[in-house]
Amino acid sequence: MTIDARTQPGPIAPVVKSVEVACAPDLAFELFTSRIGQWWPLLTHSVYGEEAASLVMGAGIGEEIVETSAAGERSIWGTIVTWEPGRSVAFTWRPGLPVEETTDVVVRFTPTARGTLVELVHTGWERWEDPISNRDDYDAGWVAVMARFADRASFPEPE
Amino acid sequence: MPSPTSEAALEALADPTRRAIVARLRQRPLPVGVIARDLPVSRPAVSSHLRILSDAGLVTHRTAGTRNVYALRPEGFADLRGWLDSLWGDALTAFAAYVDRYEEGDRTP
Repeated sequence: MTIDARTQPGPIAPVVKSVEVACAPDLAFELFTSRIGQWWPLLTHSVYGEEAASLVMGAGIGEEIVETSAAGERSIWGTIVTWEPGRSVAFTWRPGLPVEETTDVVVRFTPTARGTLVELVHTGWERWEDPISNRDDYDAGWVAVMARFADRASFPEPE
Repeated sequence: MPSPTSEAALEALADPTRRAIVARLRQRPLPVGVIARDLPVSRPAVSSHLRILSDAGLVTHRTAGTRNVYALRPEGFADLRGWLDSLWGDALTAFAAYVDRYEEGDRTP
């Protein structure tokens, strides 16, 4: 058999996800940001897991996304870098990770006939690559990214 | 929630020796003797690690003459990427469900 040398060329492809919700963009933005603690699946996707008590996203550039445990410990998940109410929010992303492993998330809110399309793009995985690795390697990064994930069992937690 | 495949892959990658083997195979397919060179474990141990990586779908091998040549299996890593992808999928699904509840009148602050 042969290994395809072009499996993952160039920069690591972003993770892109979207969902349509049945409310106007202004409200979708408001619920996504200021009410994140109401809907985020903390039990499965958090630093403290079953001990997680709350998740709060500040309102505005420079504000932080902070998880708090039942014992009062705090974990900063990231910092808001773009704040356009009703349109988009962007933040750095490093839940449970050291600063040098920060990646980037942008969430855009676009009006549709039914409500709002919420599109999320997660980039910056190149920063997780092994610095000594050759970018021309056929895996071009995902091996290192997933190895890092395996190292960081705390978040997201593989079950 | 990772699929059974990606769960096995994550477990396989949790071991530093197996990550070192994967790092070696990133350059090109290699016979087990070359993989074992410079690694601080015995060759039978390397074979055992290769079997775990192979069972997890991350590594494949073919026979070249009398040697077994090992290579990374890109599909195995694609499965893992799918798992990462599903994390944000879970979050957005939870968000959409919350919007529905909110619109139906559950406005608990």
